[in-house]
Amino acid sequence: MVCNRSSLGAVALAATMSMALAPARAADEPRYPDLNGQWSRAHAHSQWDPSKPRGLAQQAPLTPEYQAIFAANLASLHAGNLGSDPQVYCLPSGMPRMMIAYEPMEVIVTPETTYIRVDHLNEFRRIYTDGRGWPAEIKPTFDGYSIGRWIDRRGNGRYDLLQVETRGMKGPRTLDADGLPLHKDNRTVVKERIQLDSANRDLLHDEITTTDDAFTRPWTVTRDYNREPHPLWPEFLCTEANNHIPIGKEFYFRSSDGYLMPAYKDQPPPDLRNFTPSR
Amino acid sequence: MRHPSLIVLIALAAASAMPPPAARALDDLSKYPDLKGQWQRIGPNRWESRENKAPLTPEYRAVYQDNLDRMEAGGVGDMASWYCLPQGMPMMMSLYDPMEVVVTPQVTYVLISHVNDSYRRIYTDGRDWPAEGEYERTFAGYSIGRWLDENGDGRYNVLEVETRDFKGPRVYDGTGLPLHHDNQTIVKERIHLDKSDPNILYNDLTVIDNALTRPWSITKKAGRVPNPRPMWQTAVCAENNSMVRIGKHAYYMSQEGYLMPLKKDQPPPDLRFFKPSPK
Repeated sequence: MVCNRSSLGAVALAATMSMALAPARAADEPRYPDLNGQWSRAHAHSQWDPSKPRGLAQQAPLTPEYQAIFAANLASLHAGNLGSDPQVYCLPSGMPRMMIAYEPMEVIVTPETTYIRVDHLNEFRRIYTDGRGWPAEIKPTFDGYSIGRWIDRRGNGRYDLLQVETRGMKGPRTLDADGLPLHKDNRTVVKERIQLDSANRDLLHDEITTTDDAFTRPWTVTRDYNREPHPLWPEFLCTEANNHIPIGKEFYFRSSDGYLMPAYKDQPPPDLRNFTPSR
Repeated sequence: MRHPSLIVLIALAAASAMPPPAARALDDLSKYPDLKGQWQRIGPNRWESRENKAPLTPEYRAVYQDNLDRMEAGGVGDMASWYCLPQGMPMMMSLYDPMEVVVTPQVTYVLISHVNDSYRRIYTDGRDWPAEGEYERTFAGYSIGRWLDENGDGRYNVLEVETRDFKGPRVYDGTGLPLHHDNQTIVKERIHLDKSDPNILYNDLTVIDNALTRPWSITKKAGRVPNPRPMWQTAVCAENNSMVRIGKHAYYMSQEGYLMPLKKDQPPPDLRFFKPSPK
């Protein structure tokens, strides 16, 4: 031991001072990963499974009934129709599709709740991590009701994985813009494993397993997000620039000069029975 | 320097007591007031009262009166949220639906689900106003806040906020009380808990706007819902909106899905882009 008594005393004093200067902390607070900032999807395209091409090549494990629904929707899109994408009339993506993060995503971690905001269609999720169980009754929403649990896999006193289960969704929802369908019964259950990349702290992974009555088995995809070093946070307002006008069961376009237009060839005009006939 | 190793040891001791940045973000919350939970409006959502009239310029008093006259005649008025645009600042702070306030040292988030999910991000990280190109104008504006310890007891008790860089159209309330169309509004706020009742939240707002002859101040009040795990609704404007906007005109949609006039003798929309129906 080469240190003399005064140096040991100085070390002890320094340690004590640094502890005193450190802010008071709740027992479980300094454990969370740094998920601050703006996250942009790492995938160039926005089909549900980013590892496969879009459309039928997604090889979704659909039941024959829902495979037929999907094929019919693709054919309708191919014919120039709007298909079954609820976003066309500004409905939110809901879960799990909102995790495509068409526009930037923000993750806000607090001990009781992790919030996920996605600017596209102005959605935010609350993932409750306060130890609660499922409520007796869930009022369905597009984003559902999410319960999460932080996991410390390495046993080093820091959480490195957020496990989430989401239920209580309502529809209509699809998995992507091609109309990849979820079952109309809305009994979808989504399980997620959200974690930073072990080698790159600016890369976030979300492994998403969707269980749905339109599927023959649970379907797992992984979506990745890059942290933006200099984020801008614009507003994306669907209704501000949406030129699709739903009237009854039909959709029409709004022309740039504000007139109603057909959305497809030979589309009849809307029924104006409630207006007084012009003289 | 007699003990270089001692300096290293002191530095190490100090460093080991400092948690990483994300952890610090959660640690420091002991200095902040407890704003957790669900806040609901107490009092009217209108801005003008008998005692506190808006000091509108003559020009904007006439704009307001014209809007009131059009609403009296059955029109929808100038409140853009009828066609699902956000209320923006300062109208959103009237809390038409419940509010959640999420405090982190760098940002305080205000989450309100009315019209659609909407939010404010109040930066409290000491930043200055962004330069041109570092922000986009939004309905909620760009907010910079500063926490104050007015009691000198080591705990923050007031959040002072200034918000600028808006876009429009925005009004104060459902009567269409106007803000200037130049969108040069500045909103200053002092957000604080009641001194004797921590379940009451005040927001002292001052609006500086070119439609006003002087800054106009008003206090909004909210109460904390007793349930620590409240229900959060999700408002999706496009889901049940019976209003249809075609060009500059508004119409109703009947329950059966037919277009209807909004007011007496309103002409039907112009169908010039449709083929005439065969007779």
